[in-house]
Amino acid sequence: MDNPDLKAERHRRPKEDFDFFHDQRVRWVLYQILTIGIVGWLAWYLIGNTAHNLAARGMNTGFGFLTVSAGFDTDFKLIDYTPGVGTYGRIFVIGILNTLLVSFLAIIFSTMLGFFVGVMRLSPNWLAAKVALAYVEIFRNVPLLIQVVFWYMGVFSVLPVVRNSIDLSLGSGLMELNNRGLYLATPVFGDNFWMTPAALAVAVVGVVLFRRHARKVQERSGRQIHTLLPSIGAVVLMPLVVFIATGMPLGWDKPVLEGFNFVGGTSVPPAFLALLISLSIYHAAHVAEAVRAGILSVNPGQREAAFSIGLSQARVMSMVVIPQAMRAIVPPLISNWMNVVKNSSLAIAIGYSDIVSLFMQTALNQAGYAVEMVGMTMGFYMVVSLTISFFLNIYNKRVQLVER
Amino acid sequence: MAIVKAERTPDRRPPVSEATVLGWLRKNLFSSVSNTLLTFVMLYIIYLTVGGAFKWGVLDATFIADNRRECYDNSLTGACWAGVIHWLNNIFYGRYPRTEIWRINLGGVLLALWMAPLWISRVKGKFLVGVSVVVFYPFLAGYLFSGGEKGLFMQIMVASALVAFAVNMANMLAGLFSRQGLGTFALRVLGQDKATGKTQRNVLLVLIAIAFGAAFFWQMSWTIQSVVWTKWGGLFLTLVISGIGIALSLPGGILLALGRRSKLPIVRVLSTGFIEIFRSVPLITVLFMATTMFPLFMPEGFVLNKLVQVIIAVVLFNACYMAETVRAGLQAIPKEQFEGAHTIGLGYWGTMGLIIMPQALKHMIPNIVGSFIGLLKDTTLVSIIGLFDLLGMLRSISKDVPWMGLHKEPLIFGAILFFIMCSSMSKYSRHLEVKLSAGRKR
Amino acid sequence: MKLKAKLTAVAALAVVAATSATVASAENTLDVVKARGFLRCQVGSPSPGFYNLDADGNWYGLDVSMCQAVAAAIFGDKTKLQIQSVSTQARFTALANGESDMLSRTATWTETRDTQLGLDFVTPNFYDGQGFTVRKDSGITSALQLKGAKVCVTTGTTTELNLADFSRVNNLNISAVTFEDYNVRDNTFLNGGCDAVTTDKSALAGNLSSWPVPEDYIILPETISKEPLAPAVRQGDNQWEDIVRWSVFALINAEELGITQANVDDMRANSQDPRVRRMLGVEGNLNEGLGLSKDWAYNIIKAVGNYGEIYERYIGDGPQAIHIPRKGSLNALWTDGGLMYSPPFR
Repeated sequence: MDNPDLKAERHRRPKEDFDFFHDQRVRWVLYQILTIGIVGWLAWYLIGNTAHNLAARGMNTGFGFLTVSAGFDTDFKLIDYTPGVGTYGRIFVIGILNTLLVSFLAIIFSTMLGFFVGVMRLSPNWLAAKVALAYVEIFRNVPLLIQVVFWYMGVFSVLPVVRNSIDLSLGSGLMELNNRGLYLATPVFGDNFWMTPAALAVAVVGVVLFRRHARKVQERSGRQIHTLLPSIGAVVLMPLVVFIATGMPLGWDKPVLEGFNFVGGTSVPPAFLALLISLSIYHAAHVAEAVRAGILSVNPGQREAAFSIGLSQARVMSMVVIPQAMRAIVPPLISNWMNVVKNSSLAIAIGYSDIVSLFMQTALNQAGYAVEMVGMTMGFYMVVSLTISFFLNIYNKRVQLVER
Repeated sequence: MAIVKAERTPDRRPPVSEATVLGWLRKNLFSSVSNTLLTFVMLYIIYLTVGGAFKWGVLDATFIADNRRECYDNSLTGACWAGVIHWLNNIFYGRYPRTEIWRINLGGVLLALWMAPLWISRVKGKFLVGVSVVVFYPFLAGYLFSGGEKGLFMQIMVASALVAFAVNMANMLAGLFSRQGLGTFALRVLGQDKATGKTQRNVLLVLIAIAFGAAFFWQMSWTIQSVVWTKWGGLFLTLVISGIGIALSLPGGILLALGRRSKLPIVRVLSTGFIEIFRSVPLITVLFMATTMFPLFMPEGFVLNKLVQVIIAVVLFNACYMAETVRAGLQAIPKEQFEGAHTIGLGYWGTMGLIIMPQALKHMIPNIVGSFIGLLKDTTLVSIIGLFDLLGMLRSISKDVPWMGLHKEPLIFGAILFFIMCSSMSKYSRHLEVKLSAGRKR
Repeated sequence: MKLKAKLTAVAALAVVAATSATVASAENTLDVVKARGFLRCQVGSPSPGFYNLDADGNWYGLDVSMCQAVAAAIFGDKTKLQIQSVSTQARFTALANGESDMLSRTATWTETRDTQLGLDFVTPNFYDGQGFTVRKDSGITSALQLKGAKVCVTTGTTTELNLADFSRVNNLNISAVTFEDYNVRDNTFLNGGCDAVTTDKSALAGNLSSWPVPEDYIILPETISKEPLAPAVRQGDNQWEDIVRWSVFALINAEELGITQANVDDMRANSQDPRVRRMLGVEGNLNEGLGLSKDWAYNIIKAVGNYGEIYERYIGDGPQAIHIPRKGSLNALWTDGGLMYSPPFR
């Protein structure tokens, strides 16, 4: 290709018959100017109309409203807020936190349930595989909004009345579920409680080092050290021993049945539960498909080869199959997480105070800063999604490096 | 030396697991203790869910009643399907005048007939069939659904659509019975099959012109009653929004995808930004933007009706997802195809339009069906902003006095309806995927 | 307070007041409606008794009849009407920017709304008030016995605030359980999730009739709030406001004079009562100030009947009604001790 003649030829030609309108570079520049022109004109036109309309309707603009106090209350908030005192800025933060809380929990539950169902779909047990298939097909093919509304309408009518609350914490009274919502005990920490998590941290670090050592030993000598039981033992026992030794410095503010209702602890509104349940179930079906596809994408030869060099079933999965499957599972999994965050906006249909229903609906109805409020809400989702795709890109780069 | 087998080796019996029910059961359900346990757990789960649903939904259910009170009188623990049955017209057609429902049905039948040739292998000219659906059907259907006086443009489009439909049907019949395209068939019937290319073309043009004239005069002889969009609703509205959404977002998606892959940096940045913004926010925020902000964007005094606002929002939103589908399809096209196109002297649009897109689009069909399913499900969100789509109608049943408070049954009915539509389409798209990728494997 | 209320209302203030100022002043609404050929009347998302869809896709209910009455007054044809169902957020904007000609959607007439939202309420067509429903076997017979009780209420409405006021005034220490959707609220109550449920009495009665065993529940006699529900129009077009207002009065006046859908033709032809003759356009010129045809009131009664007939059809005792007795309530005619009173037609 590096023929000097050709190169010279290429350089000479434009000079010979340089045609302004048929030169590619000129056309590129023209196209781009044209694009900017069209987009710019459109933007100018829309902004002009908007400004005119805003002025004509006497609507306020700017972000000053964020420091104005909001007059309405919300039934679920993670930070202090008093109607009439708290500002719109605070409402915005409450909405964000509520969205993040329900999305975070839904991500955890849907991922766990999804992995379970995905593995179950590949179960040698015919019935289990079919049940998992039915689960995936049903929950993937029914619109999420219908599921959200259904859980909201349906589930609390089957839950028991307060007097017969279900104790989800197996008799300890820490979590009570009834048709008025979920009541949780709030922990009350004692003086030396910090030592328990510290012990847990130490145990986790120790286990990680131990497992690394075990792998090195295996890579060097082929000798396999059993790590599972010692690891679990260390992680469970060490904090437990410390916890008991420091005199169990942890109390609970339990929800107690008093007269008509529970008092104490914190309570979660029904709408939150309905949203959490439906998001978890719906997205678990999607996670399950990703997991199944990921596991199937691993060449069966890999598994057979691993068995043939004498690895145990658990090690075949943990050292050979799963690492390779993860490469195929993680990208769809993460995009699924992003969808959880976006779909949590369906809260508006059942009145859970997420950012859309609290800020973009209630607050907008009150204060009327349509452009700013819609923009801020969308901006929040963009930040979340950019953050998630940032981490996804890092992961993909790392995985690509491992590839040959 | 020769080895001669004097006797036939007796057939070996198939493995037990393949031959008998018991064997199959043992292999698949009871192969080990844990497996057996799992089977019983599963059986219990199935008993609980399916059994409970069956008792509530069928055994104890009421199907014929005039109001909810009668359902209760019949059974307090069963479903009251009678309400849903009474509301079927609303659920499927919305508030469309009951005497005009045939128009919606006709629109559906026309679409099915129009697209039918695409699935018949003997029919020629599938590409033109596809194009004619996209170009002409929307006008015919649009007039059929909304009615009223036809303007001149609408008259021309309706007549063209009628001609296109008739030609398409004739082409299908020609294909079915003589395995020829309609053009060839017509020329043969007219005895012109030996004539020169130019004569042949003129003959065909004359035929089409005559057909158009006839269709034009025929359509002038009738008009249908106007039905305002506020009367559209139910499944019909859901399908209209998602149908228009997918049809318009495809070209939009193609443009955005090309923009994103463009060599021109400004075009690339703008397209990428547009795509990423809309892909990172939930549809409900876009719908809210459409209903609260579009009125601000428009010149004063210009009011878009809510249906149009919603459709614009859905198209913008979906085009960005479609762009990613198209991009994935483009990435799958080998580089040699681009280079080959360049060597025969095609420019950018020639390369894309004639070489790349046809290949890419073909392999994108399963994904497009997939986005249609997604869009169909997402369309339920329009009920939040006050349109009476399928979900909006279902939720209105509980407010109709005779059926007051009836909300579980409609939702479950809607879920079943969506399940049937979506799962059959996704089955079909998986089938297509297998079929289309068959020729591609080397 | 069906309407999602105070918050939303207070809300739209700034927005709408200004909007209306610019758009409304522009034209004469009656001319616009006549030129268009039909009336655009705004209701909300379905609400039993007032505006619902039936199985045939038609709107029906007390408020829908108000829309039909106005359409009949203008066009002599109650079908020249487009019912718009507008979500709570957009309702006042839609009226302000001219999308809707009038609003008839169980909006409570309050001072703030009347003076600050750029709209005018015409006259109440239904007097509602908040009440309680309890289980019969609870032994409660008065709302004052609800001490320390748990009460189910719909969130974001004035009902919630009224309940708090009531509790505080009477020292009852009631705790509210809030719900977004009234179906869920009622389900919770039915399953013992609270001791009483509170909302407008019209809705209480309507919902009660849909429960499995209505006989097990009673509506307590107390009414703890004033909820005059009235149609509304844009501020600034007095002629249009008069048309809607007098359409409602025509319904009430007709009942008082004993004119019904069935006998209106006969009354017009044979009645010697000058009040009837004036109202039905046989005598005098009551149409001139409104810019309508002489028989506008006749058209209304012919199309939808008088107020009493409409009430019985959708609220009182008909097959589509939500069963709230009228006798002895605020919604009875003034001659029967109620508040329904029309100024004279003369």
